[in-house]
Amino acid sequence: MASIRSSGSAVRVTGLGEAVVPFLVCIFSVILTMLPYGLSSSLVVAPSFAFIAIFYWTLFRPNLMHPILVFVVGLYQDLLSMGPLGLWATTYLVLYGYFLFRRQYFAGRSFASLWFSFGIGVLLLTFVSWAISSIFFTQLVSPRPAIIQGLFTFFLYPFYARFLAYFNRRISRHM
Amino acid sequence: MPIRARSQRVSLLIMIAVSCALLLLGRAEAYVFDQARDKVSEATAPVLEILSTPIAIVRDWIEGVQGFFDVYAENQRLKDENARLLEWKATALRMEQTASRYQALLDVQLEPTIGYVTGRVIADSGGPFVHTYIVNAGRKHGVQVGQGVIDTEGLIGRIVGVGNSASRVLIVNDLNSRVPVLIEPGHYRAIMVGDNSSTPRLEFLPDEVDIEQGDRVITSGHGGLLPPGLPVGEVVIEKEGTYFVKPYGDQARVDFVRILSYEFPREIEVEEDLLSESRNTPVTPKRNVAQNGE
Repeated sequence: MASIRSSGSAVRVTGLGEAVVPFLVCIFSVILTMLPYGLSSSLVVAPSFAFIAIFYWTLFRPNLMHPILVFVVGLYQDLLSMGPLGLWATTYLVLYGYFLFRRQYFAGRSFASLWFSFGIGVLLLTFVSWAISSIFFTQLVSPRPAIIQGLFTFFLYPFYARFLAYFNRRISRHM
Repeated sequence: MPIRARSQRVSLLIMIAVSCALLLLGRAEAYVFDQARDKVSEATAPVLEILSTPIAIVRDWIEGVQGFFDVYAENQRLKDENARLLEWKATALRMEQTASRYQALLDVQLEPTIGYVTGRVIADSGGPFVHTYIVNAGRKHGVQVGQGVIDTEGLIGRIVGVGNSASRVLIVNDLNSRVPVLIEPGHYRAIMVGDNSSTPRLEFLPDEVDIEQGDRVITSGHGGLLPPGLPVGEVVIEKEGTYFVKPYGDQARVDFVRILSYEFPREIEVEEDLLSESRNTPVTPKRNVAQNGE
């Protein structure tokens, strides 16, 4: 894995363990979204935990969030959800690229400002995934469920980011 | 540092290209990844099963607390409903007798009895463009691809993927869902097409139809996928000429579902002597005796 490189010193075994934490948290987040909350399929959709995780790790641990890992997370969601294969892989990668590109801007920002940026990310996510789906199914897919999921995801951010911060603190600084 | 950043950028572009290629491939040959999907669902099913249990408990608990507050009203409603249902029961019994007498007279081909497997929903699709469930019953419980899935109210969807101990249900709202239906009482044929909204659309209706808001929609059994006569939902008319279906199956609280096992009478056996007698006489299918002897 090219991304797992600590500055100067060799990566220890524990270091390797730490290095896969963001990826595993992302996979776990995909599963969380899939759980049947009784919110239903067509009316309300569970928030996208995985998107919050990808946003968070791209900002705080870009070295541990290699594009291949983002691809695998998206692909896993595609396979598990029975949707068009590549839908979430493409969407997450595009958004990941956007966050990476804007990373300088995010540095040292306040929480509220990050949350606002996340909101823009959610808008892009909703649009990109809706556009890909519409092209894939060659019809204008109803965007309603996607918008509802976007809103849920936006309001979940402060809580889930706190959960992710818990893991972030446990990964050593050198990673 | 810049080298790493550049390599990250290059691999990002490569990965985006790969996932776009996957989209194209999946569009052209959708079945290529079916096995991979089944494997992934199968592997994740134990985790989903464990994690979904507390959610089911919490949901039951919330419903219990909510139910506690309107016990009185609910009791009253149930009493009324019970009185109404008792009348219906008498009518149904009378009609059943009449129908069975007619069937005996006409030598009607009986539909085989429907068996079922009960499973718990352990995951939904989690995405806004796809509507599927994963149910914790699979091949070893006798589940097969194509079987219909119902809850206590009506049709939910059908099985599209089966693993050893988990299977996947395509919900009627999904963009890929097509269900042949009948609209009662007019007995019109139509195809119910999922359109990613909570009310699937009715297509391929005859030109002149007399359908009203609230008409009952049932499965027609055409095409040999689902057994005929399963309740699906009722007609919703938004504007003249476009008809939608509000499914009876309450997708907001799906918990346990039933997977129907049903054998279509696929082969029509023709009795030998009939064939040799005359080619012109109409051929009657051999009577299909219900499996459970009913």
